[in-house]
Amino acid sequence: MRGVNALPAAVRPPRRVGAPAFADVVAEHLDAVYRYLVYVTGDRAAAEDLAAETFERAFRSWRRFDPRKGAPRTWLCRIAHSTAVDWFRAEARRQKREETYSRDEALLQESVFAEGLSPELEGALRRLTPAEREVVALRVLLELDGPSAARVLRITTTACSTRLSRALKRLEEEMSDVRI
Amino acid sequence: MSGFEFEEYGALVSELRAAAPVAPERLRQRVLGLAPASRRSRSPRRRLALVVVPVAVVLSVGAAVVHGVVNSGSHPSLAAPDVLKAGVSHNAPQTTITHESAAGKHLTQVPGTNTAAQGLDKTTRSAANNVYAAAPTTQSRTLHGNGGVLIPSDRLVHADASLEVRVPSHSALSHATNQATQIVSSLGGYAQSVQYQSVSKGGGSAYLALRVPVDKAETAIARLGQLGTLVSQQVSTQDLQQQLTRQTNQIGTLRRAIAVYEQALQSGSLSASQRIELQIKLSNARHAVAQLRKARTGTVASAATADISLTLETHKGAVVGGGDHKGGRLSRMFHSAVGFLALEAMIVLYALVVLSPVLLLGGLGWWLVRERRRRDERRLLASA
Repeated sequence: MRGVNALPAAVRPPRRVGAPAFADVVAEHLDAVYRYLVYVTGDRAAAEDLAAETFERAFRSWRRFDPRKGAPRTWLCRIAHSTAVDWFRAEARRQKREETYSRDEALLQESVFAEGLSPELEGALRRLTPAEREVVALRVLLELDGPSAARVLRITTTACSTRLSRALKRLEEEMSDVRI
Repeated sequence: MSGFEFEEYGALVSELRAAAPVAPERLRQRVLGLAPASRRSRSPRRRLALVVVPVAVVLSVGAAVVHGVVNSGSHPSLAAPDVLKAGVSHNAPQTTITHESAAGKHLTQVPGTNTAAQGLDKTTRSAANNVYAAAPTTQSRTLHGNGGVLIPSDRLVHADASLEVRVPSHSALSHATNQATQIVSSLGGYAQSVQYQSVSKGGGSAYLALRVPVDKAETAIARLGQLGTLVSQQVSTQDLQQQLTRQTNQIGTLRRAIAVYEQALQSGSLSASQRIELQIKLSNARHAVAQLRKARTGTVASAATADISLTLETHKGAVVGGGDHKGGRLSRMFHSAVGFLALEAMIVLYALVVLSPVLLLGGLGWWLVRERRRRDERRLLASA
C-alpha cells in the first residue's frame, strides 16, 4: 500500500474532525474493495472499473460519511455492493439483448480470483453464485465481522451467517467433486 | 460472527486469504486521477433543497416582518397628536359593532378615540349601512350618547355590549365602579356581578356584568363610556324578530292542527285505532305548543334586556408622558409579525394535514418499490 503523503492534494476533500482523510481511506481500502468486487463479479476487468466507480461515488459522498456510524471499509463495501448490483443488471440486460456468453467462456480460460489459487478452488469459486462469493469475500477475505457484513448485504446477521455457512459448505463440496 | 465458524474450513480459508487478489497499480492511479473530475458533480436535488428551504424560510419571516411593520405604522396616536396632548390614552379605543340577523352576521371594527367624535360617527354610519340593511327604517335614526351605538327599537333584538374604560387612579376606580351601578339602576337595570380588585400604588381593575332594558342600552353604554377613557367598545345585536315570528307561526299552525284533531275526535265517526292515533297526535301537538310557548317567552325575555360587560382599569402608562411610544410600536410590530408567522404555520400545518394521505401513499409506494428492487437484487446475485 502506498503512503498517504504520496497522494496528490486533489484527492483530499476538506477533512472533518474525527473523520479520516479520504486519501488514507483510498490507500488502506482499495485492495479490499477490489478483492470484494473480483469475487462478486468474477471478472477482473469489470472489478477494476467498478472499483474506480466505487471510489468516485465515495469521493462524491465523502462529506456525508460519518465514522461513528460504521467503519470506512463497511461504508465502501456498501457502495461497492450497489455498484456491483447495477453492473449485474446492466449485464443481464446486455446478455438478454445479445444472447452471448463470451464473458463466461473467458472466465473458464484464465485465473480470475487470484493467481495463487489451486485449480480446484478456482473452479469451485466460479461455480458459486455471486451472492455466495460475495459473503465469502466479505467475511473471509475482508475479514468483516458478522454485523458489518450483514449491513453491506442489507440482510440480518443470522441470514448472513447462514449464507456464509452454506457458501463455505458448497465451496468444499465443489472442490471435492473436482478432486473425484 | 466469530472465528469458530471457519474452524471446519480452516485450510480453505487459509488458501483464500493467502491468494487474495491485489489491486493493480493502474487501478490505483486511475482512482487517484478520478478525484479532481469528481469534484464537479453534485447532486442537483440536494443543491436545490439547500437553496429552496432557506429561501422559503427567509421569505416567510420577511413577509411576517413586513406585515408587522406595515401594521404597526397605522398607529392612530401618530395621526392625532392633539388628542395625546389632551391626556388621552396612547391605545386608541376600538369600536366594534356586530349585528346578527337572518341575513347573516356583519362586523365593523374601526379604531377611533374617545374624544374624536367624528371618527366614531364615521364608524357608526358605516356600521349602520351594513348592519341594518334588513331593517331600513332604522337607518334614519339619530345617534345617541357617545354617538357610537345604535340599537333598533322597532325590532326585537338582543344586545350585548362590552366596554373597557381606563380611569386615572385607584380612587377614580372605586368612584367609577359605584357610578356604573348607579347608572344602570337609574335606567331600570341592575348589576349582575361586580368584581373589584385593587393593588397598592394606585393600580386596580373592576369587572361589572350589567343588565339594562334594551331600550335604555344606548344611553347606558354612552354614560358608562364617559366614566373614564374609553379604550374599547364592542356592541353586538342579534335580531330575534324573525325567530319570534317563526315561533309564533309554528304555534299558530299547531293550534289549527289541534282544533282539527279535537273536531275529528268529537265527530264520533272514527274507528278505535284511528281515535287512538289522533289522540296521540293531539297530545304531541299540545306538548309542542307548550314547548314553543316557553321558547317564545324566552326569546321575548332575551330581547327585553341588554347585557353589558364593563371593565374598569387603572394603568400607569396610559397617561401621556409615559414615554413608551417607541416601545409600544415595536411591541405591536413584534406581535403582528408573530401573529403572521403563526398564520403561516397554520397554513403549512393545514397543507400537511390535507397532503398527508398523499404523502403516506407516496411513502408506501416508495417502500414497495424499494422492497421489490431488493428482492430483484437478491435474485440477480443468487442466479447470475
